[in-house]
Amino acid sequence: MINISGLAKRFAVENPKKLSEQEKKDPRLKGRFFNSVKDVSFTCGQGEVLGLLGPNGAGKTTTLRILSTALTPDKGSVLINGEDVLANPLIARKKIGFLSSSTGLYGRLTGRENIAYFGQLHGIDKQIIADRIDEMADLLDMHSFLDRRAENFSSGMKQKTSIARAVIHEPSLVVLDEPTTGLDIMATGTVMDFIHRLKAKGTPVIFSTHHLDEVQLLCDRVTVINQGETVFNDTLANFSALSDGQMHKSFMKTLSMETGVAQKCG
Amino acid sequence: MWLIFKKEFKELLRDRKTIIFMIGLPLLLFPLIFGVAFFFMSNAAEKAESEILKYAIVGDAYAPAIAQEFAAKTDKFELIEIEENADYAGLIKSETLDFVLEIPSTFSDDVLTSGQHQINLYLNDAGLNKVYRRVSEIVDVYTQAFQNDGFKRLGVNEKQQQALLAPIVIEQQNIADDREVWGERIGGLLPYFIFILCLQGAMAPASDLGAGEKERGTLETLLISPMDRYKLVLGKFLTICCAGLITALITVSSMALWGIILSQGMAVEFVVEVMAMVGILDFVLIFLMLIPVVAIFAAVLLSLSIYARSFKEAQSYMGSLIMVVIFPVIIAMMPGVELKGGWIWVPLTNVALAMKELFKGTMDYFALFGIFTSTAIIAGALIAFCVYWFNKEKVLFR
Repeated sequence: MINISGLAKRFAVENPKKLSEQEKKDPRLKGRFFNSVKDVSFTCGQGEVLGLLGPNGAGKTTTLRILSTALTPDKGSVLINGEDVLANPLIARKKIGFLSSSTGLYGRLTGRENIAYFGQLHGIDKQIIADRIDEMADLLDMHSFLDRRAENFSSGMKQKTSIARAVIHEPSLVVLDEPTTGLDIMATGTVMDFIHRLKAKGTPVIFSTHHLDEVQLLCDRVTVINQGETVFNDTLANFSALSDGQMHKSFMKTLSMETGVAQKCG
Repeated sequence: MWLIFKKEFKELLRDRKTIIFMIGLPLLLFPLIFGVAFFFMSNAAEKAESEILKYAIVGDAYAPAIAQEFAAKTDKFELIEIEENADYAGLIKSETLDFVLEIPSTFSDDVLTSGQHQINLYLNDAGLNKVYRRVSEIVDVYTQAFQNDGFKRLGVNEKQQQALLAPIVIEQQNIADDREVWGERIGGLLPYFIFILCLQGAMAPASDLGAGEKERGTLETLLISPMDRYKLVLGKFLTICCAGLITALITVSSMALWGIILSQGMAVEFVVEVMAMVGILDFVLIFLMLIPVVAIFAAVLLSLSIYARSFKEAQSYMGSLIMVVIFPVIIAMMPGVELKGGWIWVPLTNVALAMKELFKGTMDYFALFGIFTSTAIIAGALIAFCVYWFNKEKVLFR
């Protein structure tokens, strides 16, 4: 069970004068600080897939970065099975598999070396790493490029390698930030199959996306963030019911909701 | 930490650009620069010496002997006829002439009554040329003859002549041996090249290990691995250090190797002299002193690289660092700055001074304590800063 409650995170704006007119009008901008996340709360149960939705700049990536321990929040708590992630980030990292939206690989290492390196950082035995890589290469169809240098990989190859790297330590929570962005239909299908398999294994998955069809196919729960606040947090069925099964309309409807409504939904 | 180091180093060795800076540059370019410079300078000097100089003498009638002397040396001088009121500067600039000698009408007068004669030599002295020396070679014979004649007529004997020409002579009793002389000349310049090469060798991996990680999007993944941040920093720091030290080692070895080739293989005289004076221990000490220096470079470079948003930004910060590195070396080259007192404790300058002293053979080995202590303290403080820097979100997620 993942429980995220009252997250808030603000960043200092390096040069407020350089902000665009639209950015200057954002109500989250307070003087030299930008409140990227003001109040984000949601839960995700064992074996559930949670879709994190929101317009660009809503605070999804910041939320996921906090969840993965890359960032420390100013307020709020993140609990995985009752354990405080923020109090023990090193222990929590062993339980979290994170794929960032700006995913990257070490170009001069092969796909296999990239994955193995992160396995070693997690302190996993070399033989176990080798076995897991083979297993994931089967699942993600990676055998043809696994021993090639990553600098020449296509977007799909990179994403598959990144996913394998993120789950090499068999985490108890997988966090994926826009995992299908920029991928072709085949690669998207492979990624979605992989999320299905994680779900079947009982691993909770939290992923952000702009594709509502993916949400419909994969998610049990939906959380919508707008301007740094949770505006909707409930089951997929209730999200869909907001506009009689029309996902796009449901999403637009949540954006006009206020935080109070979200609490009721949750 | 060793895991980070091993992975970073593996990547480093697969990067052609880094290998060029780390190995190729110090091994080949260093001697190449000196070789090419030496070749062109000796060629230019030889050309200036053997070139037939085109000249004109204005007032040759007043010094026919000198004019004849120039005319006789056809393998060295070529007479060009010009008018008396010609534009000398214009003719020299257009390279019609190399020089014009203007002899005064009073040249044949007795020096004891007319006083000193002044011959004007018009030339373009901007580039490397030996016009003045080659003209003086001929004219000096007459200067000597005039002098002797004057003294003879005044009844001054040889001893008095010497006393009049130079009433006080300072006879230098140089206690410096050849090593000290060469050490002063070479040892001052050496740190300049070595420091820059070490910095260059560390720069490419430093850009890659900090800003490169950000640009590729691998930093975030690394930050959420269950590895303490200080271990991440130390792993990266060691890799940069290693690259810098390999550069230092190759540079020093390359110097020694090329020294042996030039002295024994090609018998270049001054290299033979230098190599005979500098021992292997001196090279080892130079390398050892470079260890904390490289550590300072590595820590600064990594801090800059972590701060930069992109590879390009990191490179621009690091470019300016070269000026900062040159400054303490320039101080070490200044007159009066020696490896004594407070200078022993000034990082980088002290190492530059110590290298000079080692080459001169006048090293005070007790100074090594101050050198190693001060550079190690600075390096340690900078590594600590680097770890602190690596923990700051506003640096990592700018």
